[in-house]
Amino acid sequence: MRHVPAGNPWQLVLPALFLMIVLFLSPIVNMVGLSLTTSQGVSIQNYVNFFSTSHLTDAMMRSIQLAGIATLISSIISWPLAFFLAYCIPVQFRIAALLLLIAPFWTSFTIRAFSWQLVLSDNGVIAASLSYIVGEPVSVGILYTMAASILGLTLFGTMLTTLTLFGAMTAINQNLLEASASLGAKSWSIFRDIVIPLATPGWLVGTTLTFVICVGDYAVPTLLGGGLKPVLAQLMLSTVKGTYDLPNAATMAMILMFIVLLAALPMTLHILVLRKQS
Amino acid sequence: MTIFGLGYATRLGLNFFFSAVVLCIYAPIIVMIIFSFNSGRYQTLPFREFTTDWYARMLQDQNFIDGLGNSLIIASSVSISATILGFLAAYSFQKAEFPAKPIALGLLLAPLAFPLILVGIGMRLQFTSLGVKPGLWLVAMGQTIYVLPLAILNLRVGIANVSSSLEDAAISLGASRIRTLVEIIAPACRSTIIATLLITFTFAFDEFIIAYFLTNFEITLPIKIWTTLVTGFDPTVNAVGSGVFIFSVTLGLLAQILLFKRQPGKFS
Repeated sequence: MRHVPAGNPWQLVLPALFLMIVLFLSPIVNMVGLSLTTSQGVSIQNYVNFFSTSHLTDAMMRSIQLAGIATLISSIISWPLAFFLAYCIPVQFRIAALLLLIAPFWTSFTIRAFSWQLVLSDNGVIAASLSYIVGEPVSVGILYTMAASILGLTLFGTMLTTLTLFGAMTAINQNLLEASASLGAKSWSIFRDIVIPLATPGWLVGTTLTFVICVGDYAVPTLLGGGLKPVLAQLMLSTVKGTYDLPNAATMAMILMFIVLLAALPMTLHILVLRKQS
Repeated sequence: MTIFGLGYATRLGLNFFFSAVVLCIYAPIIVMIIFSFNSGRYQTLPFREFTTDWYARMLQDQNFIDGLGNSLIIASSVSISATILGFLAAYSFQKAEFPAKPIALGLLLAPLAFPLILVGIGMRLQFTSLGVKPGLWLVAMGQTIYVLPLAILNLRVGIANVSSSLEDAAISLGASRIRTLVEIIAPACRSTIIATLLITFTFAFDEFIIAYFLTNFEITLPIKIWTTLVTGFDPTVNAVGSGVFIFSVTLGLLAQILLFKRQPGKFS
């Protein structure tokens, strides 16, 4: 039978590409320009100012610290969770168990952060239960601290990394595991020598996405961390909506973007190395 | 299951750990839903009396109705445009060859690995310097950028599952490319398309930060929730939050069921 040439419908990508260039790429280029704009013309003065203003660098460090800790904790606890989902649950319940874990995250950060306020606040559920047990008012003092923000973001990161790690684990060829088991490999060495190396790309994707999303999040640091010790995202918003200092806002945005690109480097390198090997 | 001969204690520990994490995720949301039926003005235990007053109040609040209306309109237009654009792009990536294809794919998927706040602030600064006032139509455009990668990823799988002999047959019988797309490919991956519409709708409906950056005084539902939260507490938020939570999770679950049900090459 003669093969019918399907043609080369490359033009169909153009509408999406056009939109992405106009609404995503061009604003980034614009921000680079804005961040280099000062009253004396083009210079890096905005960046110099940023790094010599302690409340700005403090906010940057808090953003990195918050996202870093949340990413670290969730990247560790997602291993046993993904392992449990991939290998310890009967196949027919696997998807249901996974959905149980990820379903609440289809709703916004705002609502989930707010619901944590109800639990953590000084007259919240934990405080009320404790004071009921103790018999006198108890002040918990967790709400509006970095610990509360970390809690909120860690749960999100745990869901995300477990999801990507589970995907990577279930993609591992089952025969490989069975063969090594029947040749006498112990559970731990199967896990260490086969599962860990093959699941690492999925884990890297999850941890990178977690960090990227957490470092730029605004809702959780505001609702759970409070406004006294702001992160970069909070300052960006108050600059844009408050003082209208647009070059300054653009500079903060560029610094956040630089952090994100730096954080994505390990994942990018790992993918490139894997591609070269295959 | 048979590969990892785990001891009883390990297995129990993993079960316990999984349950603990699930409990941590659900507990606050359950608390919120319980409080939404609590007659007390203050959000504290003990539980007073059962009431549906907060839900009634929610429906009487004009700001809420406006925000909900705006969010429904924006999320619908976002999900439809992202699904159409994503479908065309996914088809092109699947079937066409062009220079810089990986770069184009990378650009289209980039917002997925990018803090949303940068999409919001970038568009805000860009359109302000062009003299364009922020507004709800800009919100819709920004959110389209945000959900487009999800649409492309979903639809690529759906389109790859359609047997290419179907489309070859249509084209060899003289159908145009567009007609083939509309009458052959789209019906063949119908459940993926519906799932994509649902998922992109949910994400746009719940999106807050892009909307917040691209508006001055207009409200969407997440903005309404936000302003209520930061400007003095109102227990109606419990009812709104519970409603939005149930709504979003239902849509998300429907989408997942559709995606799990899709079968390669099935023509229905």
